[in-house]
Amino acid sequence: MKLEDFGMDTITLAGPIEAKLRAVRQAGFTQIMLSARDLVGHPEGEAAAIRAVLDSGLRVTGLQVLRDFEGLTGQLHEYKIDVAKSMLEMARAVRAPLLLVCSTTSAHAVADFDAHVADLRKLAMLAVPMGVRIAFEGLSWGRFIDDVPGAWAAVSAANRANLGLAIDSFHLLAKDTPLEALDEIDPDKLFFVQLSDFMWSAPSTPEERRETARHLRVFPGEGAHSAAVADLIRAIDRMGYEGDYSFEVFNDDYTQMQLGRVTDRARRSVAWITGHVSRRSLPVRRTAAA
Amino acid sequence: MIRENLPLPSNPLGMTGVEFIEFTAREPLALGALLRRMGFHEVARHRSREVILYRQGDMNIIVNGHADAVREMAQGAGPVIGAVAFRVRDAAYAHRRAIELGAWDMPTRASAMELHIPGIHGVGDSLIYFVDRVDEFSIYDVDFIWNDGATRTPPAAFGLHWFGLVQSVYSDRTADWIDFYRTLFGFDALDASHFVGVLPKGTLLRSPSGSFYFQLIEPPAGADFVDWEERLLRIGLGTPDVPAAVRGLEERGIVFVDREPLRPSEKGALTQMYLGTVCFELVHSEPPGGSR
Repeated sequence: MKLEDFGMDTITLAGPIEAKLRAVRQAGFTQIMLSARDLVGHPEGEAAAIRAVLDSGLRVTGLQVLRDFEGLTGQLHEYKIDVAKSMLEMARAVRAPLLLVCSTTSAHAVADFDAHVADLRKLAMLAVPMGVRIAFEGLSWGRFIDDVPGAWAAVSAANRANLGLAIDSFHLLAKDTPLEALDEIDPDKLFFVQLSDFMWSAPSTPEERRETARHLRVFPGEGAHSAAVADLIRAIDRMGYEGDYSFEVFNDDYTQMQLGRVTDRARRSVAWITGHVSRRSLPVRRTAAA
Repeated sequence: MIRENLPLPSNPLGMTGVEFIEFTAREPLALGALLRRMGFHEVARHRSREVILYRQGDMNIIVNGHADAVREMAQGAGPVIGAVAFRVRDAAYAHRRAIELGAWDMPTRASAMELHIPGIHGVGDSLIYFVDRVDEFSIYDVDFIWNDGATRTPPAAFGLHWFGLVQSVYSDRTADWIDFYRTLFGFDALDASHFVGVLPKGTLLRSPSGSFYFQLIEPPAGADFVDWEERLLRIGLGTPDVPAAVRGLEERGIVFVDREPLRPSEKGALTQMYLGTVCFELVHSEPPGGSR
């Protein structure tokens, strides 16, 4: 594994998009995961933000995040479709190859697996002409889908070429999901991996998981589950995953620190990972299939 | 593999073929001259816009040179295929169903017609229309004035008929577009044994009635195609006798690519590129009986 395999998320850093792009680039990273807020919140408008991204020299890993999408009905469904379209348009504009979607937490969503699958198919269809792939992730406090097996069940049932799975190490650790769950997943359908750790043992309630996830994550190598994070990355690597890893580190302290100090921590995390997961596996599966 | 063939209705929209293909052109007369050489006849003009209807046999081509349509085209840009209209059983139903399945509704821009024809986004900037008024009362009767003295139904030269459209896609995007055409319209992806023509590459999709095809082409591996973009590239015309059609069209001044591996054959032929962006592919194919 090498530095090019890893990217930072704008959500880890404070400041305007230009400062984030500059800091990430100066730290030697080549890719960045954007939040839609980075674009629409720009004081000179989204066009200026898009231009800054395209001029940055950084590759865009993806755009996040579409929330509470699946399982809505009537007006709420139409409303969410409009939100999704807006995010897909932004993804295309900023040349993000992927839109991250997380499982619903909405009290208004219906408990109907088939309806969730139909909604994911619809989202995948919306994404085809835009040239964007959909990566679906199970939030550990999701209302119906709250772990990797649940998210994979929906993705595989939907069975659309541009719809795949996103794995976030936080949710895996927070839910104590066993690594054997990865054995069920088609490696070609794993579209995206997000990495982070946190400082204490697995939070027991959905509320605690959400609180930790949104404010108190740290980079891999800085937290309480270093061995588990390394095991996870090794397992994903063994699957033959060749996509991007991004640091999904929500941390209130990091957003009030100098950007260079935070990117230094991200670089140390890359060094820690590459030290523990020696190198990417040779693509055995693909060679064997050819 | 997790992919499986989902049980789709064989023809969910009652699609029977293609009503028209629309070009957007900054210089519509130059394209019109090319279409005439290809055997099309100018049969009608739009009442108020620079939009012309060309026809031969069962094929309609609309050339849209209206200012609203060409505004975003670069100066000197060649014509582009801007839309394809599918004949369906019920256009309103087809449109509603496509939107429910996740198609993007047609933008509220000037379409070639003032008559409201429902449509959705296709590849690139192109549109897919749904037309159900095909027989006794055609969509052209509303917006177009038929040319005096000319037949409204000129026969097809050399048995020419719609074969399909060739679409470029980005690398690794073929499966995405197969999902698109299969889910929305019921197209099937064919295996390589069905390949036809002189350019047997990419993936061939067959319409549910078997009368129209999309050929999806990814950029060649290892090639540096900086200008490759996703769009409708060219029209494929079927003819029962490719060599006869090639000879006849050559007599009309059409030039065919004549180098291997694209040399005209019994299977097919490819015209040279005209106006920077327009070429036609001939494919050996019997006319579909009773597509209307």
